Amino acid sequence: MNKIAPIQSIGIPKPLVDGPEKATGRAMFAADFQAADALVGRILRSPVAHANIIAINTAKAEALPGVMAVVTEADCADSYGVLPIAMNEWALARHRVRYRGEPVAAVAAVDVATAQRALDLIVVTYEELPAYFTAAEARAEGAMDLHEDKPGNIEREVEFDLGDVDTDMAAADLVREIEVHCTEVCQAQMEPHAAFAEYDAAREQLTIRPSTQVPFYVHKMLARTMDMADSHIRVIKPHIGGGFGCRTETLQSDLIAGLLARKARGTVKVVLSREETFITHRGRPETDIKMKVGMKKDGTITAVDFSAQQRGGAYSGYGIVTILYAGSLIYGIYDIVSVRFHGYRVLTNTPPCGAFRGHGTVKTRFAFESLIDGMAMELGLDPFAVRRANLLVAPTMTENDLLVNSYGLDQCLDWVEKASGWKQRKGKLALNKGLGMACSHYISGASKPKHWTGEPHATIHLRVDWDASITLLTGAAEIGQGSSTVMAQCVAETLGVDMGRIRVIASDSALTPKDNGSYSSRVTFMVGNAAIDAAQNLKAVLIRAAARKLEIAPEDVECLGEVYRGGKQDQGLTFDEVVMDALTGEGTLAVKGTYDTLPESWGGRKYRGAAIGGTMAFSYAAQVVEVTVDPHTAEITVDKVWVAHDCGKALNPLAVEGQVQGSVWMGMGQALSEEARYHEGLPLHANMLDYRVPTIIESPPIEVGIIEANDPHGPFGAKEAGEGSLTGFLPALTNAVADAMGVRATELPLTPDRLLELLEKKARGERAAGATDGAAA
Amino acid sequence: MKTVLSLMVNGVARDDVVPDNMLLVDYLREKAGLTGTKIGCDGGECGACTVLIDDRPRHACLTLASTCQNARVETVDGLSRDGRLTAIQRGFHEKLGSQCGFCTPGMIMASEALLRRNPDPSEGEIRDALAANICRCTGYVKIIEAVQFAARELAA
Amino acid sequence: MELLPDMHVHHPVTVEEAVALHAAAAAGRYLAGGSDLLVNIRRGIEQPDSLVYLNGINEMHAITNVDDGRSGRISIGGAVTLRELAESRFLRENFLAVVQAAGQVAGPSHREYGTLGGNLCLDTRCVFYNQSEWWRAANNYCLKYRGDICHVAPGGKICFAAFSGDVAPALLLFDAEVELAGPNGRRRIALAALYRNDGMDHLTLADDELLVAVHISKHPSPTPSGYAKSRVRGSIDFPLAGVAVRMDMQGKEIADLRVALTGVSPLPFLVRGLEKFLGRRADDACLEELRDAVRGQAKAMKTSMTPPHYRRRVAGALAQKLAESIL
Repeated sequence: MNKIAPIQSIGIPKPLVDGPEKATGRAMFAADFQAADALVGRILRSPVAHANIIAINTAKAEALPGVMAVVTEADCADSYGVLPIAMNEWALARHRVRYRGEPVAAVAAVDVATAQRALDLIVVTYEELPAYFTAAEARAEGAMDLHEDKPGNIEREVEFDLGDVDTDMAAADLVREIEVHCTEVCQAQMEPHAAFAEYDAAREQLTIRPSTQVPFYVHKMLARTMDMADSHIRVIKPHIGGGFGCRTETLQSDLIAGLLARKARGTVKVVLSREETFITHRGRPETDIKMKVGMKKDGTITAVDFSAQQRGGAYSGYGIVTILYAGSLIYGIYDIVSVRFHGYRVLTNTPPCGAFRGHGTVKTRFAFESLIDGMAMELGLDPFAVRRANLLVAPTMTENDLLVNSYGLDQCLDWVEKASGWKQRKGKLALNKGLGMACSHYISGASKPKHWTGEPHATIHLRVDWDASITLLTGAAEIGQGSSTVMAQCVAETLGVDMGRIRVIASDSALTPKDNGSYSSRVTFMVGNAAIDAAQNLKAVLIRAAARKLEIAPEDVECLGEVYRGGKQDQGLTFDEVVMDALTGEGTLAVKGTYDTLPESWGGRKYRGAAIGGTMAFSYAAQVVEVTVDPHTAEITVDKVWVAHDCGKALNPLAVEGQVQGSVWMGMGQALSEEARYHEGLPLHANMLDYRVPTIIESPPIEVGIIEANDPHGPFGAKEAGEGSLTGFLPALTNAVADAMGVRATELPLTPDRLLELLEKKARGERAAGATDGAAA
Repeated sequence: MKTVLSLMVNGVARDDVVPDNMLLVDYLREKAGLTGTKIGCDGGECGACTVLIDDRPRHACLTLASTCQNARVETVDGLSRDGRLTAIQRGFHEKLGSQCGFCTPGMIMASEALLRRNPDPSEGEIRDALAANICRCTGYVKIIEAVQFAARELAA
Repeated sequence: MELLPDMHVHHPVTVEEAVALHAAAAAGRYLAGGSDLLVNIRRGIEQPDSLVYLNGINEMHAITNVDDGRSGRISIGGAVTLRELAESRFLRENFLAVVQAAGQVAGPSHREYGTLGGNLCLDTRCVFYNQSEWWRAANNYCLKYRGDICHVAPGGKICFAAFSGDVAPALLLFDAEVELAGPNGRRRIALAALYRNDGMDHLTLADDELLVAVHISKHPSPTPSGYAKSRVRGSIDFPLAGVAVRMDMQGKEIADLRVALTGVSPLPFLVRGLEKFLGRRADDACLEELRDAVRGQAKAMKTSMTPPHYRRRVAGALAQKLAESIL
C-alpha cells in the first residue's frame, strides 16, 4: 500500500533543472541570440595607457555606408560604478583614458567588416601622460593622480587596530613574519562577454540580454548611462557561461550595447573577443602582504599585525570593498582578538580589478596559513594541532563584530585528517613528496546591502493557477552554480510536492522580482530563505482552502505534499483539487516571500568600512593537498586533494560537491600556473594559451567531505558552498611543497621557474654551510 | 570568393553559398542556425568549438567551412535524434559534468569521439581525449565521471 | 562572427598544381591543418589573398616504407596528421622520439588535423608577436612584423622569436631529409638545412616552395631515442624547451649521442660538441656534464611568460632525464 508522505527534495543529489538544455546545446547564451536585422557592435580601444583625449573625430566612420551608429562619451549621460560611493567609470572614456584597452568609441554596422573599417576611420587625438604600472610607481613622490579626488593614487587606505596587539605580540613565545607577493589573476570564465540589445524605437524601450551575474545593477547603470527611465528598460539574463566575479558589476560592453542599439534604433549584438574579455578584467589584484603573527608554545595565536597593498587598476570598481575584505576576514575563522591592519588600494594604469571568487580574503589567508605552518614546524607542532588550538565556539561575535552562529571547522579538520591518512603518512612519504593543509572560510552573502533601498534582501514570487503548476519567479541569477535548482528544491521541500510541478523563471526584470545578483555567495542563503517564506505563505493559503473544503479547522489539515487530508481516515484532496478550491473567489494565486538579514549581522562600526565582512553565516573549509615534485624540472604534480567544506545543510549535495571541487581547482590554477602580466600596461596574458588555466591532464582527483554545521538562520540550515574552499588551496599547496622539498614559497603562482629558483637557492645554502663545516673541521 | 558548400550537418544534407573565408564555427552558428557550438577563445585554445568531422574531433574555429566539402559534420545540436538525451548527454546532466554549460558542447563532442572509437576507456584515456577542452567550473572531476557513466550505459 | 581577409581557397589535387596556384597568387599561403596559419590570419599577422589547400593531394598523405633488404627508408607525406604519426607502430619501433614528439603536440583535437609539414614549418613565436592587431599596433609592432624594435632585446636588430615545433628536433636525430617542390621542380635537402637562425625568416624555403615529404633512412637496428617536452600545463602548450635524445651504447660506453633542441632558439638544432662523450661511461657525472652542455646551448630569450633561465635549465634537465631513461 502506498504510504502518502510529503516528497523530500533537499539533502538529495539533484541534477540541475536546466541541465538538458546545456547538454543539447539548446541553452541560449548572450552571443547565441540572432536576429536578421541585428547589427554588429564593435569597440575602439585606447592604445595608450594614460592620456587626455583631445579630440575624437567620428565623421568618416559615421559616413561609411553600412554604419548605423557611432557612440562616444558624448552619448553617455553619466558615469557608473558598482559602489554608490565610487562611480568614476564611464562606458566610453570621458576626457581621459587610463589604461590600454579602455573603450573610447563604438560602432554598430551591418557586418563585421564594415564595423572594423568604421573603427579604423575614427581618429582619436591623445595627449599622453605619465603612466604607472605598479603600485610602487603610482604611489611614488611626484606621480600624477589618475583621479583628481584620489590624491597619491590611493583609492582607499584602511586601518584598524583592535584588541591590544603590542602587548599580546610580546606575550607570544614565537613571533614570525612573512612577506608574500601574489600575482594578479583573471576569472577566465569560458564565455567571453556579450550583450544582445534591442531598442524598440516606437515605444522607446530597451530590452537587453547581457552576460551578467547582476542584471539589477546592469539595469540601474543602463538607466544612468543612457538617461532612460528604469521602467523603459528590460533586462533578461540569458544562460551565463561562468562568472566567478568578473560580471558582478556592470561592464562597459553591457552599456555600449544599449547605447548603440538606441542610436541605431534597432538591434545590436556586441560580442567581445577573448582578448577583450581579459582587458575588461575585474580580476583579483596583484597583492603584497607583510604579516607578523605571535604564537604560544601550544599553538595559540596571540596577535596578528599585517599590511596589504593591492594594485587595483585604473578605476574604482569594487576596490574599496576588496581592500576591506583583505583586513576584516582575518577574523571569523579562528579565536583571534588582537589584530592590526593597514591596507592600501592603489590606482594604476592597468585594467581595473574587481571581485574574484573569495574576493579580498584570498591572499590574506594565503599569508596567514603559510606563516602559521612554518611556525608550527618551528615549535614542533602538528599543523592540525595549531588549528585546533585556536577554534572558535559558536555562537560568538568576533572582535570586529562579525556574527558567527554556526561553526563546523573542527569537523572539517577531523574529516580531512582522517580521509588523507595524515597522521599515518605525514613525514613518511617518499622523497620529493609532501602533504600540506590549510583552512579557509567565506561569507554567505554580505549582510548589509550596497544600494540601501529599504527593500528586503531577497524576494520570491510564487504563482499558482488552475493547472496546478507552480511558477517560481526569482531575480536570482543562475550562472551555472545551480541557484534555480536550489530555489525549486526549497519550495518543493516546504510544500512536500513533486519538484516537477515547479518551473523556475529567473532574471527577467519585466516578470521576476528584483534580486541583487549572484555574488558574495548570497543566493542560497538569502534567496533560499525567501523561497521558503514564499512556500510557507503558499502552503498557508492552500491549507485554508483545504480546511474550507474539508470543513475542518486549518490546524487540523494534514499537508502531505501531493495530498491534503483531515486525518488518517480521510481520503483527502489532491494538490490539484486544493488549488482549484483556493482559486475559488480569488483567481490566480500570487504569493510572495521575502528575506531580510538581521541587523546584528551587518558587521561592525569600530573603523571606517567595518561593515564589510558582516554576514549571516560563514562557511568553513579544511583541505589537505598531496604533491610530488620533480627535483630536476621543479614541476609540481598535485596527486590528490581532500577537502571538507562546512556548508550547513547541503540542500543539493551533488551541486555542493561540484562547487567545492571547482573552487579548489580554481585555487590550484592560481597557485600553480595562472598569472596576469603587463608589458607597459599591455596584457601579455590575454589569451587562453598564455593565461594558463589547468587542463584535465594536470587536474587532480578531489575528494569532498560535506560537513553540515547547520546555521540556525540558513534555509534548512544551509550556508554557502561556492567560495570558501578556493582560498585554502593556495597555502595548502605551498605547505605541501615545504613538506616535500623544505622550501617555502612566498610568491604565487608557484610556477616551475619560481620553485627551481627556491630549490637552487636552498642547494647553494646547503653547499655553503657544508663548506663552512668542512673548513671548521 | 564564394563557393557552394555541400556537406552533411547532423545527418541532414545541406547546400549553402559560403564565402571562402568563413570559419566552420560561424557557418554552423549563423548559416545553419546551430548555436550549440560555442566560441570561447581567439583560436584553438579552449576546445569549446569542438565538433566532429567524419567522426574525428576538430576545432570548428580553426577550420574553414570551404574545406569541408562532402564532409560529415556533427554538432551537439544534432546528437540526440529521437528527442531523448543520449548516454553522454545524460552523463553530463545527471552526474553534473555540466555547471555553466558553456564548455559542455565541446566536451560532449570530444567525449563522443572517444566513446565511438573506445567504448570502454580508462580514466587516463578519458583525460587524454579531453586534454584540449578547458572547463572553468567543474575542475573536471565530474566530467570524467560523466564519461564513465556514459560508457557504462552504452555497455549495458 | 570573425573577420578574416577576403581569401580564395584553392583545392589542387597534385603537388604541381598546388605550386602553380601559389605562384599565381599575389599573396598566397599553403594551408594544411590550419592550426598555426589560421590563428595568425585571425590575428592579422598573415593576410593572404589565396589559400592553397593541401589536404586533397594524395601523395602528401602517404606513409611509405621502402625496404631494400639491408636498409631502406621511410617516407612521410607532409599532410600526414600528427595523430597518424603518433599512432604509427612502425615509427614507434624505429624512431620513438618522432612518435613521442608528435604525440605531445598541443592537444588531441589539434593533432587530428595538424600535419607533419605544418609542424616542421611552424612560424616562430614570441609573446610580442603572437598578439592581436590592436595589441601589436599599440606596441609599435616589432622587428619580425611591421616594426623596428625587437621588444625582447631592444638594443639590437636581431629577432629572437623561437621555433616551437616538437617534431623537428626528433627528426634531426635521424638525419631526416625533406623533399621540397617549387616552380623550378623538386629538390631534397637535409632537414637541418630547412632552417636558418633568424626569427624573422627562419625557413629557407624558396618562393612558392612547399614541403612535400620527409624521408628518413632506416637503421639496421633501431637506435634508442626519446623526446621530452617542458611545458607548464600538461597539454595544449608549446614547448618551453623540447629535447630529443638519441643514444647508442656499446656495453657501458656511449657509442653515439645526439641531442636536438626546440623552443629555445629561432630554429631547431642539434647540440654541438657532444663528441667528447663518445667512449665514456654513462655514469651520473657524465650525464650531469651532458645536462650542462645542453643547457649551455639552450640560449632561450624572453619570448614567453616563462623566464629564459628556467627554459635553459630545463632543457639540460630533460636531456639528462632522457639519457637516463634510455639506459
